[in-house]
Amino acid sequence: MAASRRRATPLFWSALLALTIGVSARAAEDVLRVAVLSNSPPMSYTDSAGQPAGFNIGVANALCEAMEVRCDLQVVSLQQVIPGLVAGEFDFSAVSLLNTPERRAKVLFSQPYYRSNSIWFARPGVAPGAAAARVAAVAGGAQLRYALAQGWQTTAVSHHSEFPALLASGKVNAVLIPMATALTLRQEPLIQSLGLQTKVMPQNELSGDVCFAINPAKPELRDRINHAFDRIKRDGRFDRLNTEHLPFRLQ
Amino acid sequence: MTAPGLPEHTARKAWPAGRAFAVVGGIFGCLFLTLLFLLAVDQRQVLEGSQRLQDKTIPTTLEQFRLARNVEQLRLEGERVFSGPTPVARQQALFIVSLLASHPAMLADARTAALAREVEGFLARAARQGMSEQSYAEWLMLSNRLSLLADDVSIAGVNLATDDLRQMSSTMVHSRFKLAVVLALVAAFVGVVLFLIHRHLIRPLQVMDEALLALRSGQPMKPFPAASMVEIGAVEGAIGQLRQSMHDNEQARQQLVLLATTDDLTGMFNRRHFTVLAEEELKRAHRYGRPVCIGMADLDNFKQINDRYGHAVGDLVLQSVAELFARTLRQSDWAGRYGGEEFAFLFSETGIDEAYRLAERLRQRLAASPIEVAEEVCLPITLSVGLADASGGSLASALKRADAALYDAKRQGRNRVVVATATGELRTGRFKAADREGGQRPG
Repeated sequence: MAASRRRATPLFWSALLALTIGVSARAAEDVLRVAVLSNSPPMSYTDSAGQPAGFNIGVANALCEAMEVRCDLQVVSLQQVIPGLVAGEFDFSAVSLLNTPERRAKVLFSQPYYRSNSIWFARPGVAPGAAAARVAAVAGGAQLRYALAQGWQTTAVSHHSEFPALLASGKVNAVLIPMATALTLRQEPLIQSLGLQTKVMPQNELSGDVCFAINPAKPELRDRINHAFDRIKRDGRFDRLNTEHLPFRLQ
Repeated sequence: MTAPGLPEHTARKAWPAGRAFAVVGGIFGCLFLTLLFLLAVDQRQVLEGSQRLQDKTIPTTLEQFRLARNVEQLRLEGERVFSGPTPVARQQALFIVSLLASHPAMLADARTAALAREVEGFLARAARQGMSEQSYAEWLMLSNRLSLLADDVSIAGVNLATDDLRQMSSTMVHSRFKLAVVLALVAAFVGVVLFLIHRHLIRPLQVMDEALLALRSGQPMKPFPAASMVEIGAVEGAIGQLRQSMHDNEQARQQLVLLATTDDLTGMFNRRHFTVLAEEELKRAHRYGRPVCIGMADLDNFKQINDRYGHAVGDLVLQSVAELFARTLRQSDWAGRYGGEEFAFLFSETGIDEAYRLAERLRQRLAASPIEVAEEVCLPITLSVGLADASGGSLASALKRADAALYDAKRQGRNRVVVATATGELRTGRFKAADREGGQRPG
């Protein structure tokens, strides 16, 4: 009995080691690197505990749970999202991106998870395209690209959080921002006294399907993410996140 | 279809069993496959409906619910435009109203788009012109329309799923009916096949079995009923041939036995067969100590009859004598034509006294029965007989002694019966058994 126990012990440890290595390897395979923003409330922001939060963060976590994978959220700026995906630094981005032809040429897109438009948010009397208009937009966004394409006086910023100070100081008299972001910006105390007015921009370049972007080398991941979107939309997780972060249904 | 030489009843029109069952199976198979195909189509429709429900209808229904939720949210934000606690809150509510009114999903539906634009315009005017009881009363009407529209949008979403489910349910009902038909068809197929097998295979085989049993027992074979299967008809034909062949063989065998054992002129046993039978009977009698006697007889002056009237008359005389023998002798007595006009007899279970009486009766009847050989020509025929007790010796010995007694009867003047004693002495006329040992002639 004792001899057989001595023989069995190395076998047991070998099996345990192999199992551990196998599990570790599988876990390593199942970790997805996800690019997120930290300055685009209510879609993405950093909560009081310093953790990423917001609608897109919740959707990303729900997708990873539906795909039964672990996700490693990595905070980036908007203009780093597409280059990072192309370079393979991330597997996908939990960032609301309009599905534009320029972006489609570089990355893969998930199915649309809502439709958005853009908001012209300006001092009274400042209309889109007016000669006096000095508009600010986030670098890397469709709104900045549109403003530049229109030949407007444009200021590029890195974060949405820069808008209140710019508007309050008068360096810009308008911002062009996504619909959801406008909800939060509208409530900033710094700009409450400015009497800013809003205008929905219906142009094709500023509205349309909003998707998550995916590493172009991973088309199979797109299918998995699409199936996961179907699941969380059917089982109510998507709508609960919507209710948690936004006053109306995005889709 | 039928092989040459088979009985006629097998040559009528019939179906090969394989083809008949193939036709039946083919018909049922086609029906079965058709129904299976229809079931498969139904199943595919249900699966497609289920997939459509999951992939399109439910997501669309959920989108309808979300749209209804936004319509309701539009109503709530409108309410806040009137009743928000602060101007900022009221401005924020108005901003959300404008976002909702320009929401792509809201614009995608004509009814919601129109009402949302109307609400947005109304609330913007009300905000600019200041809130009044009249404007609030108008808002209440708009608010009611928004609630009704939210209900309509929700119901429309539910109806999408209901339509799909109704269609699937209808398909399932049809499938259940088709499945019942398939099961009934299978049951009918099994029933028909069993009926056909019993009617056209098992029953004919039973009839054949009965026919073969009848053949074995020697009974005449009944004609087979009309067989509907070629194979069954062929087997019946073969059995008919077999039966005919066996019948012919039996007749030939009987003919050969007759030829081998009887004399063809008189129909009596021939000498060889009589000898074989007599040997067997003597063995039996000796084994059980039973009495048995042997007789030899010869027609008197038969040569003169032949010479005078010809051999045809001689043959007629022989036939007539044989008939008289058959009528006069007992069932247990054996008679055979030993050669020419000479005959042999075996009297089983009979002592010499009784044998003498039998031989004497035979002699007397023949003597009293002239044979008519032509019109008004009757020939008196007499017979000389020699008898020997065969209870103790061999057949050859008994025949020899009987022949000696016959010779003695001839020598004594013919038309008489002479008995040979066990020692070879001869006695003529009436005698008693007790006299035999003495060897004296009867008086």
